[in-house]
Amino acid sequence: MSGRPRRAVRRRPSGRELRRLANSVGIGYNNIRYMNRRDIDRQLPLPPAFLHILIAIGDGERHGYAIMQAVADRTSGKVRMSPGTLYGSIRRLLDDGLIEEVMRRPSRGDDDERRRYYRVTPFGRAVATAETVRLSTLVQDARAAGLVLRKG
Amino acid sequence: MRVRDRLFAWIVRMYPREFRDRFGPEMAAAYRNARDDAASRGLGALSSFWTSVATDVAMRAPGEHLMLTIDDVRFALRSLRAAPVFAIVALVTLALGIGANTAMYTVVEAVALRPLPFPDSGRLVRIWEKNDTLKIAQFSTSALNYLSWREKARAFEDLAAWRSGSVTVATGTEPVRVQRIEATRSLLPVLRTEPVVGRNFTGDEVRVGGPRAALLLESFWRDRFGADPSVIGRQVSLDGVAHTVVGIVPDRGLVSQVQIVTPLLIDPAKESRANHTLTTIARLRPGVTLAQAQQDMDRVARELSGEFADDARWGTVVASFYDWLVPPAVRTALYVMLAAVALVLLVVCTNLANLMLARASARSRELAVRLALGATRARIIRQVLTESLLLAIAGGAGGVLLAWRLTPVVRRLATGVLPPGSTVSLNASVLFFSLAVSIAAGVLFGVLPAALSRTGDVAMVLNRGGRGVAPQQGLARQVLVISEVALATVLVSAGALLVQSYQRLQHADLGFNPNRITTAMIGLPAERYASAESAITFYQRLVAGISAAPGVESAALGSGPPLTGVSTGMPVGAIGASPLGSADMQADWRFVSGNYFATLAVPVVQGRTFDQREIGEHGLASVVLSQSLARALFSGDPLQRQVRLGNRRVYTVIGVVGDVRNLSLATAPRPTMYFSSGELLWPSMTIVVRSAGDIPVAQTVRRIVASLDPELAIFNVQRMRDALANNAAQPQTTAWLVGNFAALALLLALIGVYGVLAYLVVQRTREIGVRMALGATPRGMTYVVLRYAMRLTGIGVIAGAAGSLVVGPLLASELYGVSAHDTATMIGVPLALLAMSMLAAFVPAWRATRVDPLVALRAE
Repeated sequence: MSGRPRRAVRRRPSGRELRRLANSVGIGYNNIRYMNRRDIDRQLPLPPAFLHILIAIGDGERHGYAIMQAVADRTSGKVRMSPGTLYGSIRRLLDDGLIEEVMRRPSRGDDDERRRYYRVTPFGRAVATAETVRLSTLVQDARAAGLVLRKG
Repeated sequence: MRVRDRLFAWIVRMYPREFRDRFGPEMAAAYRNARDDAASRGLGALSSFWTSVATDVAMRAPGEHLMLTIDDVRFALRSLRAAPVFAIVALVTLALGIGANTAMYTVVEAVALRPLPFPDSGRLVRIWEKNDTLKIAQFSTSALNYLSWREKARAFEDLAAWRSGSVTVATGTEPVRVQRIEATRSLLPVLRTEPVVGRNFTGDEVRVGGPRAALLLESFWRDRFGADPSVIGRQVSLDGVAHTVVGIVPDRGLVSQVQIVTPLLIDPAKESRANHTLTTIARLRPGVTLAQAQQDMDRVARELSGEFADDARWGTVVASFYDWLVPPAVRTALYVMLAAVALVLLVVCTNLANLMLARASARSRELAVRLALGATRARIIRQVLTESLLLAIAGGAGGVLLAWRLTPVVRRLATGVLPPGSTVSLNASVLFFSLAVSIAAGVLFGVLPAALSRTGDVAMVLNRGGRGVAPQQGLARQVLVISEVALATVLVSAGALLVQSYQRLQHADLGFNPNRITTAMIGLPAERYASAESAITFYQRLVAGISAAPGVESAALGSGPPLTGVSTGMPVGAIGASPLGSADMQADWRFVSGNYFATLAVPVVQGRTFDQREIGEHGLASVVLSQSLARALFSGDPLQRQVRLGNRRVYTVIGVVGDVRNLSLATAPRPTMYFSSGELLWPSMTIVVRSAGDIPVAQTVRRIVASLDPELAIFNVQRMRDALANNAAQPQTTAWLVGNFAALALLLALIGVYGVLAYLVVQRTREIGVRMALGATPRGMTYVVLRYAMRLTGIGVIAGAAGSLVVGPLLASELYGVSAHDTATMIGVPLALLAMSMLAAFVPAWRATRVDPLVALRAE
């Protein structure tokens, strides 16, 4: 090709643009994700179900049903997600790059070949942290306003 | 597999395919595990589990679909923003196409699809009299026959009849002339119409000599009496006679647009079976068919024919009430117009499909990349369809807006064909139609590109470097252009026929001079003008007064001047034309004053018109014939010959005048006989005035009428020019609309031809380069491209011409003075289209000659 040389420097695409691109092509964002402060803020406030899932896999990868169980156990059965809610949330979390699938399968006894394992991405961790900060600020504000009786 | 497991698999299937592919098996497993877990925790847990499953089905699965759709819509919006010219062309053409369809549909809906406002109207029938010997297919009923039918017929629940006319109402301020029907007491029950206030007539009120009662129509009651319910029981003066208002009838509750209903008083002693004046309808008994009712009425007619000599040759026709109110011809015309706009939309869709294909082939590389990166084909088809549906629905919204703006125009267009109480409006049914049409259009122009997008082989497209194109696309585009040209040919032919028809109509010979003519109607109340002499004298003084008024050139009196909507016929035969006497023929008749022909500038061909000799009871029984009637009745000189009318009276021919188009512009002049208005009068007569300049004729006439009789009102004042314009309005609108539709279709088709050829030339640049390098001349290349264009459009116009021949007869009822298979049109339009396509093809052909072989080959 002759003619003018192409511009060497191009603006780096924003995370949103990359995510759009990934979605339009039909592939997951995790492959081309890019993180910045604005992308984190855009995720907030995080839906409760998302936070529950992030907490459930915060300490290690789990498969879908294990996440449901972990959430139920931790909340003493108060929060029970339906599979629809769980996988709907997982899809969003995957597409937004908060969690990712684990390619390697842990070799445990009850491992089922159908099962996929999920873990938090650094971006997901950043979002969860930001959400926790947001919630604790909220709790402090409520306490300052006299809405919370006693420190638990 | 257990039922439960199958249920879970089924629930998973409700999610979008992309979602299922990623999470399906896992989700089904999670459902199973969650259920087992819930079961182990007891009945309460189990029931809350099933509740959450139900929520998933009802909310989550549709939610996932919605998310995907939102993604697709966003994607479509982005890709449309990247191609603004395409998007704007698509939106504008779609808005035009769908707008025209919506506007047309509002009329079709109001006229042909909306049910009549009468409950159970399927059982209503219209009953006519007929006379096979006189070749009268449908005629009004005589009052005596109506009474006999009601007594003898068994097929009907009840019959009702009325006579239309007008009456002067004096309510305080100034007298107004209003439309009135004299109806039988059974009319409201037969139509199932209930008075809004008050009651129907009583048995006493419909008897001759009984108390005088009147029903007011709701709108008249609102306008004149401010919807005051205390008007019931009040007296109103109708033609100088006091009537008591007994009830208010809803406007939609009657068949014709009137203001007042009074009882039809039938005095059998004064009636004749030969006096056919009534409109008769009936309600069939439940379960009785039209054919059975006809049989029943045939029996009744036979009995009556045997019984009464003056009813001997009369039969009956039981016809559809609906067809009478909404004539099949009107419906056909509407459907023709709807078909024309549908064709335009089809061309719009074809053109858009073509543009989408061009876009798709330009984007084939992008699609291949996306496929290679793992997007499913289903997803890509979905995205293409989302784009087209998005365009179609946005275009549809624009179209509805357009149709809404057009509603007043459409409303004006539709007056005259609307059944009683119907109005043209953008109602829910119309909006639903527009939505359906939009979606259909979107699918129509989106489905082909979407379907073809799957045929490309990823590796092949990527290897071709985005240069080539799948062969199916080339073929599809050719077929699309051929159909576009064919559709445009059909529409342009139809438009050409209608425009020619309208032009002929404009130049139709009226037989009179319509310039500066004004007509006004007037009626004399029988109570105050009981004798013929008093009425004749009144009219003579009136005509003399108006003629003498300043600014009036000439004035005359007639019972039915041209285009006033009056039509009357009677059999007539010549006496002594041949030894056997000539066969009776049907002729129109009019009562006119002597200067009627001079005022309208109708030429007197032979003899004289009426004068003092034809005034009064003892005047001469003279008749003036129209030229065509004179020619039909007599072979030689008609003057002083005699004719016998259907009522057995004999008249002497004193003159012959030119033929006049009395009924409408499009109706050929009918044989007409004229009698002297000095001899007989009609209940209402028309004053014909030719003014010298632009003077307020209505005021002049009103002033002179008031000076003679202050209680009289004139009505239906119209200028002949306006009447002519109204008369031509419908054909003008039809020609204008179809002509514009045709122009739009033609433009779109030419764009299509240009697009395909331009694309072809770009696509074959390399081939052209090679051929030029091997010695092909630029002229030769132009020829190759033009030949290709000729082949495409040639097939198109031939198909279109064949289509026009099929469609033509549907137009026949709309055409005047031009055949539906007019040879010049059928050959000229396709040739013109071919020529225009060649022009459209010339730019790409010229571009082919500009291909530089060196550049073309170096691009390899």
